[in-house]
Amino acid sequence: MSGTPVDGQPDQSGERWPLHFLLNGRRVDVWAAPHETLLAVLRDALGATEVKYGCGEGVCGTCTVLLDGAPVNACLLLGVQAQGRTVTTVKGLPNQDGLHPLQRAFVQHEAAQCGFCTPGMLLVAHAFVRDHPSATREQIRAAVAGNLCRCTGYTRIVDAVEAYARAGNPTSNRGGRDGG
Amino acid sequence: MAGEHPGSTPPLLAYRVIGRPLQRYDVLDKVQGTTRYAGDWQLPGMLTGRILRSIYPSARILRIDVSRARALPGVAAVLTADDVPANALHEDATGFNLAPFATPILAVNRVCYQGEPVALVAAESEAAARAAVEAIEVHYEPLDAVVNVETALRPDAPRVHAERENLLIHWKLRTGSVEQSLRQADIVIERTYRTQRVDHAYLEPEAGVAWVDADGVVNVRSATQVIEHFRTLAEMLCLPHNRVRVIAPFLGGGFGGKEDMTVEPHVALLAWKTRRPVRMVWSRQESLLARPKRHPFVMRYKTGAARDGRLLAQEITVLADAGPYPLLSPRVLFAALVAGAGPYRIPNVSVDAMAVFTNNVPASAMRGFGAMQVTFAYESQMDLVAEQLHMSPLEVRARNFLQKGDRLPTGEKVETAVALPALARHALDALGERSCPTTRTARVGRGFACNLQPYGRTVWFRDHASAWIGFETDGSLVLRSGVTDLGGGQAASLAQIAAEILGVSLERVVVHFGDSALTPLAGGTFATRQLYMSGNAVLKAAQELRALMAPVGAALLEAGPADVQFADDYVSVIGSPQRKVALAQVVVECGHRGIPTAHLSVFRGEQAPPVDLETGQGKTFPDYTFGCHATEVEVDTETGIVKLLKYVACHDVGRAINPQSVEGQIQGGAVMGIGQALMEDIVLEGGNNLSTLFASYLIPTALDVPDIRAVAVESGEGKGPFGARGIGEPPTGPPPAAIASAIQDAVGVRLYELPMTPERVLQGLAGTGPPEG
Amino acid sequence: MYLSPFLYFTPTSLDDALAVLQAHLPDAKVLAGGQSLIPLLSMGLARPSVLIDINNLPGLQGVTEDRGRLRIGALTRHYDLETCRVVREHCPLLAEAASLIGNIRVRHRGTIGGSLAHADPAAELPLVAAALDATLEIHSPEGTREIAASRFFLGYLQTDLAPGEIVTGVRLPALGASTGYGLAELVRRAGDFAIVAACAIVHVDETRRCTRVALALGGVGPYPIRIRSAEDLLAGRSLTNRDIHDAADAVPDEVAPESDIHASAAYRRAMARVMARRALEAAAARATGTRGGHG
Repeated sequence: MSGTPVDGQPDQSGERWPLHFLLNGRRVDVWAAPHETLLAVLRDALGATEVKYGCGEGVCGTCTVLLDGAPVNACLLLGVQAQGRTVTTVKGLPNQDGLHPLQRAFVQHEAAQCGFCTPGMLLVAHAFVRDHPSATREQIRAAVAGNLCRCTGYTRIVDAVEAYARAGNPTSNRGGRDGG
Repeated sequence: MAGEHPGSTPPLLAYRVIGRPLQRYDVLDKVQGTTRYAGDWQLPGMLTGRILRSIYPSARILRIDVSRARALPGVAAVLTADDVPANALHEDATGFNLAPFATPILAVNRVCYQGEPVALVAAESEAAARAAVEAIEVHYEPLDAVVNVETALRPDAPRVHAERENLLIHWKLRTGSVEQSLRQADIVIERTYRTQRVDHAYLEPEAGVAWVDADGVVNVRSATQVIEHFRTLAEMLCLPHNRVRVIAPFLGGGFGGKEDMTVEPHVALLAWKTRRPVRMVWSRQESLLARPKRHPFVMRYKTGAARDGRLLAQEITVLADAGPYPLLSPRVLFAALVAGAGPYRIPNVSVDAMAVFTNNVPASAMRGFGAMQVTFAYESQMDLVAEQLHMSPLEVRARNFLQKGDRLPTGEKVETAVALPALARHALDALGERSCPTTRTARVGRGFACNLQPYGRTVWFRDHASAWIGFETDGSLVLRSGVTDLGGGQAASLAQIAAEILGVSLERVVVHFGDSALTPLAGGTFATRQLYMSGNAVLKAAQELRALMAPVGAALLEAGPADVQFADDYVSVIGSPQRKVALAQVVVECGHRGIPTAHLSVFRGEQAPPVDLETGQGKTFPDYTFGCHATEVEVDTETGIVKLLKYVACHDVGRAINPQSVEGQIQGGAVMGIGQALMEDIVLEGGNNLSTLFASYLIPTALDVPDIRAVAVESGEGKGPFGARGIGEPPTGPPPAAIASAIQDAVGVRLYELPMTPERVLQGLAGTGPPEG
Repeated sequence: MYLSPFLYFTPTSLDDALAVLQAHLPDAKVLAGGQSLIPLLSMGLARPSVLIDINNLPGLQGVTEDRGRLRIGALTRHYDLETCRVVREHCPLLAEAASLIGNIRVRHRGTIGGSLAHADPAAELPLVAAALDATLEIHSPEGTREIAASRFFLGYLQTDLAPGEIVTGVRLPALGASTGYGLAELVRRAGDFAIVAACAIVHVDETRRCTRVALALGGVGPYPIRIRSAEDLLAGRSLTNRDIHDAADAVPDEVAPESDIHASAAYRRAMARVMARRALEAAAARATGTRGGHG
């Protein structure tokens, strides 16, 4: 039992430890101090600036990443807690010709204005539709409601997610109960 | 009045790019997470900057000791007021020296609001910077804080600034004889309305990076609406203007909150002193604590009407809490002065619009800019007039709507179409069938509200914007504009305009924007001016460039210059599309013939001398955008909770350059107004901010608003390119009044104070509470 | 986003966790989901020099059902409560309460043990624990103890948890067929902490007469409050609207709300009655198999 957060030896300062995880499908190795949040590790050490700082309280959702597939607040997770796990940012959404169909729907519906909330919004919506492929419009609205947007008024975001869900699951009906 | 006649446009039918919902190039980057916002920038050797802020709303600084902080490991600089070469921003937001003021960058001997910057730190890491901020010792002597605008104006009130009175600005407007008309009116409605302090709450907190380049130029790349701040920064550093450069990347929202400087002076100072790159990102909590807010207004309205519903007179007093520094308060209050009477023909009007110094957090620009707050008052007054006269709210308004050619209370003519009757009809029709209450304690009600919002700067600022357009030899197009893009598609719409006129496909246009060293200055993105100003500048540059190149294309086609068109990356003969030559070839041929293939144009907005200071008479703003919003709400009579069931926002946008972007602006603006109507509130107590968490400053989520139905009416009459009007700010205005009206309709309670919290609604229902007016 | 440095431990056994906690008292904090603790650290409102991350402890996740009682591991995430089949079947109240917490990201990370130990007076899980007469399972180097929720919550963000102790699990009753529950929340904004929340559980006999009621209110005192007078009033009654109104009328006198920027004490007090009534109505409707009132 010791103060080591992870396997391995600390760096010369004794403050940082080797940390590795899968970032968008690729193994990354980085030195991180335990007090560095996953958000700080991603942005400052790994240059993953698509993950945004918006409040540090877990309220706004701009720092959303998928941890082993589940949406979490990167600002409220320690970097070392990602050890050996899978972290997905918006750049890790599976795509053909550069765009995931959900991203394409956002472009077509102009569901982004300033774009600052967009990466987090996309990840939450992606995870939700994955788990609830026949979600209704109201369920989609509730699913993205934890991510704040100050530009769009949300209507187009819900439009885009709904269009994406419909396209992937043409048999679903708008009023139906979610089966997932 | 002088100025160029804008919007001289080709015939309407032929547009290929304008008016189409084209994909925005910036959105493509944004969904992929590749947009590099201000805080995403990194440079080798970059330091972290932080601010030590005042903990008191009002205090004397007895002593600052930075020695311990400077000695900490990893600390590169600790700066106080003494370290600022010229520690005063000389401001006069009136434009003619009515309210000059020197605002310190770092507090000198005295702090005037909680959160005011006192000292700066640059350090090797965030942790070191934090430690240094904590190690600075400041000895304060707390002083009484002036926190109430009404008592601040009493003669015996303590002063915020010893050397001057608390009244910062007092604008007056006088037309007709108000007193007499009020005496003769059949009814007179007199009420007081209060709006709250609101935060912009853009998702991107204030951020920027500064560095000194090899030529000794101080570069600041920051989230700003105004790259022209380079001049102010140069003056602060006692440098020539051309030694400071400001770059504005895509912003994560602005809404007026990044119109005044944010991190710029701080990062510039730290980089200048340390000669190393410095990044500063404010925390959300700092932003909520200390960034300027929307002004809280206290508005006294006295409205006189004739029995038939005609408005006869209106007497208005507006008191705004400016906080301790002027910033843009004088201009905000001027907009309130001009818009105070609403989109109505009223022969006798008097308005007194005042901003008052206090020790509360400063207030400055925010989307809607003074014209927003007054909408709540003048539209509620219209409802009350209707009620008292037993007329429908629509009928009373319809009887008084301004029409093109009418005069505003300032005496200036309304020069473009006023589509309000159609807007109101569209908005109300779109509500459809009335909903049934969902529970037995709920009541459903409907309301609507109209507004006018100026677009473009006040004419005496003699506004102008430049744009540069150039072809490359492969026929692709480069557009350079000093516009800043807040997220509303400012850059993309300029590309659309250039593509339309020069016949280049949209994907072959590249926009370089927002760089004070490399793009021609366009003025900042504020006052809903960019489509009007830069849109016209790009239109003009494109038309002039086309005129230069058309003869060359025509010569290649053996046709007359008037017989060719620019379309689909070709120049072709009108009527014989097979006779065509690629734009690239025309560009090369221009080169051979010495004809320029690039062009810089300057567009001058409308210009006129300042208004008369005693009467407010004169030309004020270039033009106005009109709107009408309608809503259906459900009020829970047991809890006072107000739920919006339907919402329609309808504006005459003149011409929609990109209909999707226009609708997006309308939807987002409406939701911002809805937030102010129902939930948002920066609460101060004795000058201390109690709303510094994003968990406690409530902006709407997707579940708090219904789908917003945006209806863009195109009258074709606006002063922007192709007859467009500005649409950035107008949609924020109507929501509070529309919702207040709907609550009244549902449960018979009219609220006079924002936000309309469940508690206030319930107090109204119980007859125990706030509704006073 | 940035925290001050601390020493960090990731014990892999409960004994190790307790030992390292003991060794670093009083300046050590236990990190579970972190959804309340990390914001406190990043804003400098808490400065522990040691953080003990218990997320890797075995056996603290998951829900088991045994003879009418559920045992929930302290590290079970809100999202798991919301979606877990056992919970939805045997204690749907808990699943519903979990679904109301914060946002989807918080629910994926936040834990039931962490929520109870943090003891926010407006939070859903402490409220439900109080209403369900849950017992908390607590470990210390001295051994294990169990404590009823009613004795666990002591004050604003204060519990009976002693320094050196760790919450390891929660036990609560499954809700049988003759039991109904109701949860009513008043929020200013979707997903926020409630201004007032009420949770009611109603047990009825074969004649649909009420045998026992639990009514707890959140947001109107330093911790979730059981309204014993209302509970007593309803016991043995047939749960008419009149009965429920009478019970709800007893609520305002039993709560001790405070004012904050979101609502005054008076408003909270008044809303306590309304939320209590709505929760009771929903619970009664569920227990007696009728529909009605607010859900």
